[in-house]
Amino acid sequence: MQVTTNFDLIQPRVRQDGQAWAKTIILIGLAAYFAWVIASGNLSNYINERFSWLSYVAVVIFALLGIGNVIETLRRRSSELPVIQPAGSEVLTWRGILVVAVPLVLGTLIPSRPLGAESVSGNLSTNAVATSNMTAFTTDPLTWNVLDWLRAFHSAEDVTSFNGREADVVGFVYREADFPEDTFMVARFTVSCCVADAGAIGLPVVWPDAPNYVQDTWVRVTGSFEVSEFRGDKLPILKAAAVEVVTQPDHPYLYP
Amino acid sequence: MQTSTTSSPLTQLVRDWLWIILALLIAGVLLAISISAGRDPGTVISIFATRFLGIFIEAAPFLLLGVMVSGMIDAFVTPDDIARLVPKNPVLATIAGAFLGFAFPVCECGVVPVVRKLFTKGLPMWVGVTFLLAAPVINPIVLASTFVAFGFSPVFIGRFLGTIAVSIAVGLVFALGARPQDVLRPVALMPLRGGDGTVPLTMPRRTLMMGLREALRSANREFFDMSRYLVIGTALAAAMQTFVPQDVLVALGRGPVISVVVMQVLAFVLSVCSTVDSFLALAFVGTFTSGSIITFLIFGPMIDIKSMLMFVGVFKRKTVLYLIVLPFLMSLIIGVWLNLNVAI
Repeated sequence: MQVTTNFDLIQPRVRQDGQAWAKTIILIGLAAYFAWVIASGNLSNYINERFSWLSYVAVVIFALLGIGNVIETLRRRSSELPVIQPAGSEVLTWRGILVVAVPLVLGTLIPSRPLGAESVSGNLSTNAVATSNMTAFTTDPLTWNVLDWLRAFHSAEDVTSFNGREADVVGFVYREADFPEDTFMVARFTVSCCVADAGAIGLPVVWPDAPNYVQDTWVRVTGSFEVSEFRGDKLPILKAAAVEVVTQPDHPYLYP
Repeated sequence: MQTSTTSSPLTQLVRDWLWIILALLIAGVLLAISISAGRDPGTVISIFATRFLGIFIEAAPFLLLGVMVSGMIDAFVTPDDIARLVPKNPVLATIAGAFLGFAFPVCECGVVPVVRKLFTKGLPMWVGVTFLLAAPVINPIVLASTFVAFGFSPVFIGRFLGTIAVSIAVGLVFALGARPQDVLRPVALMPLRGGDGTVPLTMPRRTLMMGLREALRSANREFFDMSRYLVIGTALAAAMQTFVPQDVLVALGRGPVISVVVMQVLAFVLSVCSTVDSFLALAFVGTFTSGSIITFLIFGPMIDIKSMLMFVGVFKRKTVLYLIVLPFLMSLIIGVWLNLNVAI
């Protein structure tokens, strides 16, 4: 137990050195982890790519702090005096230092995976966010993703105008127990900032072979829309002409 | 500096082991819920890790920028500068504190180390409280992102006026009702002349290189002091998101009072960064009342799980409670009043 009296601010040399090296390892480790997350492309499992520059900043500052720590520790070693902790800081316990290592442990031990059907927990929306970004509508509708379509439905006065329109979208299979046998949703997560604000959206798909597609499988669905009833709402439903299993896209989330 | 020895051995013990207890609690909840809901524990751990790392990866750079600013303040700002620049009139100083975010554009992860360092340089306690609450919103970056999301709308105006009103009001409450030594933890108190003598009150200005080295050293200490709280807060937020279904909350969205409370709880639980929370709030337009959305945008940047835990590193526990309850009640009143009296 550490009681902060002035005397205790002068720590034993050995403990001080051990903690300094532990901190250095954590700082360099975090720099390396962030660099690895960027290099492996796993960053897109966690944050909106718009903010990836922040992770580069983190690599630089973590490395800077780590290198600074090495220099300080070596310098201290060459002088014999114990260093007095300045008044503006706390004496850290080992527990305090180890807590900071938790992200490093979780990041390296648990394989990186994006949020999928398992993390939806029954709040998947067929109602798109009405953001100001409507530029997508000038592009070819066959390049529209799930979010673009939902936005188009949202801004349309009469959704039946989408009857017969062709679509080609990629998403993961999402199904709940009360869905009709031949129906699943092709779903995506939208992420504005990081996974903290992730929201699941999806288009209902009707496909006779639907039961053969396992929850969370990434699929590419082509077909045309037809307005009909889905879970009590009238909305455009994608009548599939083809459903093909694909690999997970490089950017698993859509960025509104 | 002697005040830190007044806590009893028992509370000291609890404080020392709080992190471990919390971690065990989270792990226990994780296990119990995943088993009872029939979810695969491996998948649940993977979802938790993704959410945890997502928040951490997004927040860590802001904390790092915050500790670098804090290190620079430590090395280059003297208490004399603060004494010279802060208005003498307490009310005027508090109002100035609400706009200090334009000088230090930091979000809620970065503001805590900055304000803690400013306290040790002699910033009046109540000015710091106002700065702490206001800065995550009243700065150019969040101004811009809110404008992009909502345009020059009642939500935009309400967010900024509301934040300024609440932060100044809480600052004034602290100015009238509390003494710095009762509010701040010893680490955040300005070292007094003739105290323990480790830091003289007026230091000679350093050369640039010496200053930068000192800034880096200080940033390093600050990072380890503050990131503990960030890690614990992030773990709590990730656990809440993984285990508490949001549709339970959203079902309550229409009542003039309950919708505001629900959005406050949501803001607290989600712990989204203030630079982007406007985009998240957009998702609730239509299903939630306008007052509740404005309250979400006022209260969320001030208080959430991770910033609450970071406050613990600066303020005494009882003060942290006031810092949560006062903004909660004030932003609640604003939201309810808007819902009942202003048709937006």
